[in-house]
Amino acid sequence: MKRYLILLFLSFQVMIAQVQFEAKVSKQTLGLNERLRIDFTMNDDGDNFTPPNFEGFKIVAGPSQQVSQSWINGRSSFNKTYSYFLLPMQKGTLVIRQASIEIRGQIYKTSPIKINVTAAVEQPRDPNDTQVTADQSLHLVAEISKTNPYLNEPITVVYKIYFSYNIGITNWRELDKPKYNDFWSQNIDIKQLVAEEGRYNGEKYRFVTLRKTVLYPQKSGKLVIEPLSLDVDVQLPSNRRNIFGQVLLVEDHKRVSAGAKTINVKALPEAGKPADFSGAVGRFAFKVTPSKTNIKSGESLDLDVSVSGTGNLKLFTLPKPIVPTALEMYDPVHSEQVSTPLSGMSGKISDKYAIIPQYKGKYPIKPMTFTYFDLGSQSYKTVTSPEIMINVLEGPNAGDNSVAATSDTKKAAVLSSAQFKFIKLKTDLISMKQSDFYGSTLFYLLTLLPFLCIPIIVIFKKKKEAIDGDIAGNKIKLSNKLAKKYLSEAQKEIGNKEPFYIALEKAMHNFLKAKINIETSEMSKEKISEILLERKANPESISAFINLTENCEFARYAPSTSTAIQQDYDKAVAIISELEKQIV
Amino acid sequence: MKKLLYILLLTTQVFFAQNGFEKGNALYQKGKYQEAIKAYETELSSNKQSAELYFNIGNCYYKLNKVAPSIYNYEKALLLNPDDVEIQNNLKFAQKLQIDDIKTLEKVGFNKVIQDFTNTFHYNTWGGITVGLAILFLLFFVGYYFSQITVSKRLFFLGMFVVMLLLLVSVSSAIFEKNQYKNDQPAIVFSEVVSVKSEPKVGGADAFMLHEGTKVYIMETLDNWFKIQLTDGTEGWIENSAIKRLK
Repeated sequence: MKRYLILLFLSFQVMIAQVQFEAKVSKQTLGLNERLRIDFTMNDDGDNFTPPNFEGFKIVAGPSQQVSQSWINGRSSFNKTYSYFLLPMQKGTLVIRQASIEIRGQIYKTSPIKINVTAAVEQPRDPNDTQVTADQSLHLVAEISKTNPYLNEPITVVYKIYFSYNIGITNWRELDKPKYNDFWSQNIDIKQLVAEEGRYNGEKYRFVTLRKTVLYPQKSGKLVIEPLSLDVDVQLPSNRRNIFGQVLLVEDHKRVSAGAKTINVKALPEAGKPADFSGAVGRFAFKVTPSKTNIKSGESLDLDVSVSGTGNLKLFTLPKPIVPTALEMYDPVHSEQVSTPLSGMSGKISDKYAIIPQYKGKYPIKPMTFTYFDLGSQSYKTVTSPEIMINVLEGPNAGDNSVAATSDTKKAAVLSSAQFKFIKLKTDLISMKQSDFYGSTLFYLLTLLPFLCIPIIVIFKKKKEAIDGDIAGNKIKLSNKLAKKYLSEAQKEIGNKEPFYIALEKAMHNFLKAKINIETSEMSKEKISEILLERKANPESISAFINLTENCEFARYAPSTSTAIQQDYDKAVAIISELEKQIV
Repeated sequence: MKKLLYILLLTTQVFFAQNGFEKGNALYQKGKYQEAIKAYETELSSNKQSAELYFNIGNCYYKLNKVAPSIYNYEKALLLNPDDVEIQNNLKFAQKLQIDDIKTLEKVGFNKVIQDFTNTFHYNTWGGITVGLAILFLLFFVGYYFSQITVSKRLFFLGMFVVMLLLLVSVSSAIFEKNQYKNDQPAIVFSEVVSVKSEPKVGGADAFMLHEGTKVYIMETLDNWFKIQLTDGTEGWIENSAIKRLK
């Protein structure tokens, strides 16, 4: 008996030891608009139950307590449950932390539970639920102006909540704000919500515009706008009526979401896309205006590059002006005066560049081009600004900046003379096809000629020396020359008797000198004839020669006629030529 | 009668030749620069040129704010008359209109000394000097050869060697200068903006950008590409349509 008692005691001990305390959830994954039930159950009675703080959830109902105790076949079972109904407040993974309870002096805890909250899901209808009437009479709609816009073409998203006449809305909270990934977005503030009348699916509804947004797609392709979810407090009519027969209103709240929208963004056409296209889409006017064009150096000048019109004004960069390096250009001051109504951005953006010229002169600012895509004509348009000429009237000249530092009056006077020079008024035009002197045949000829002359000169000189060395030969040559000379002199003096005969005599003497190599002093008739004979001259000719010589002396003093003179001359010529032939 | 006709014909020719230039001057005076350019260019089309003509055309383009043609004509004028101060002055004015600011790299060393020396004359002048020295050499030789006095004979002999040395210098200067002239191929960028490539291909990588009026030197030619060098030593390839040769 004692043994049985111990056994019983032991088994009872075991039963007591098996205390269970756990948390159970109705589902692990739920939509943002769904509810979650969590039960904390224990199989023994305990005190001091502390629920977790349900971070990220809102307690919709609870705690509700449920206790059950049963005896089945003598075995008792105890069950106590705390239940909560929770509504998630945010998307993502939420953790329900530990709950604790004290059972017989010991503290028991549940294990934490992870809950995955997804975006709002459509709930199946339940015709008997009062919620259904709310579902049918409350709609959140996102109206999108265009579902296939071009890149950077503005589109608008307008969220409207439609509600039928038999329900009332008291309040709402935004649960899930729409995200516009890959869009440039601008919210348009709505100052006062106004209920308007409209139609939804052919039925008359009232609606409130909650939110207006202008979007500029920044990427081509399919883009998704994430939905807007609202928790709306509604007043629903119930089946009950008050004592006056009026329908009693039931307060409830309802979650609505607009559903995800897909927008198909078209890329801008590649055909005809200019190289300098910076992404401007819309309709614009482009202006480049300098504050002044005639300035002194050191003064500053503002160059205003502005684009005005409608389009994605905040989403592109303005073209940069190109200026000569002598103009110092500083970084621009960017200013925007853009308003964003529902139709898209409009206004003006401008870059203001401060330019300070360094030197005197004329400097052009190149024409600038601005290209945009015109949505109206669906084509690229280019606006070109005119060229701007900056005239710097006073200041140092480029190139002599060392002088620029000094403010000497004398130097200034010199500097002012460095003007742009006037055209030249005189010129000597030359042919373009002038052949080069260097490298021409003439050049080589003229260069080499002096060198070729050197051997010629040497040869010439050698020859001259040789000739100069031969004395006898020279004498003969001289006499020969003189003979000829006097003979021609005689011919000239043919009219005058005396000079004629003198000349003739001299001619004949010289002839002899040249031929037989004797001096005038040695000349006698005998010697002459002797030598001539030796030289094999004709004796007749010799005598004729001697006769003529004698005749010359004689005739000089004797009167003679001109015919005689002529005869003597002819005779002399004949004899000389004859002797010339005969003498060896 | 016939002679007279020839003289008349010749003088009218001269008259016409001067006319284009003077007509241009008159139009320039009136401010009709575009028409003045046309008048000046009639001279060029008849194969006549002068530094002054190019200078005046450059002035016209400057007044019309056309950077590249203005610089081109000034440079052309400077080729014919490198030492003219007015041309250099106005070229400086025109260069202010251009966008690019390229530093000029100074050449240094022995090569620079030689270049400066040969640069003093055009190679044709060097040719003339060579001919003159050759004749002088001959005269010295004659003096040496025929001189009777020993002192003058020695002097002439020494002179001959000096002249020979000078002659060799002038000939080599002429050769050097002509080579230099041949290799020196300046050109002016006429395109408003042109990208200079790192290799002679249309799709080649851009090395740098040039704007109109910049002076470049052509180093090599391949198809319709020029390898160019800037005054600061930067090199790249450019399409031949973008630039205009000065020579």
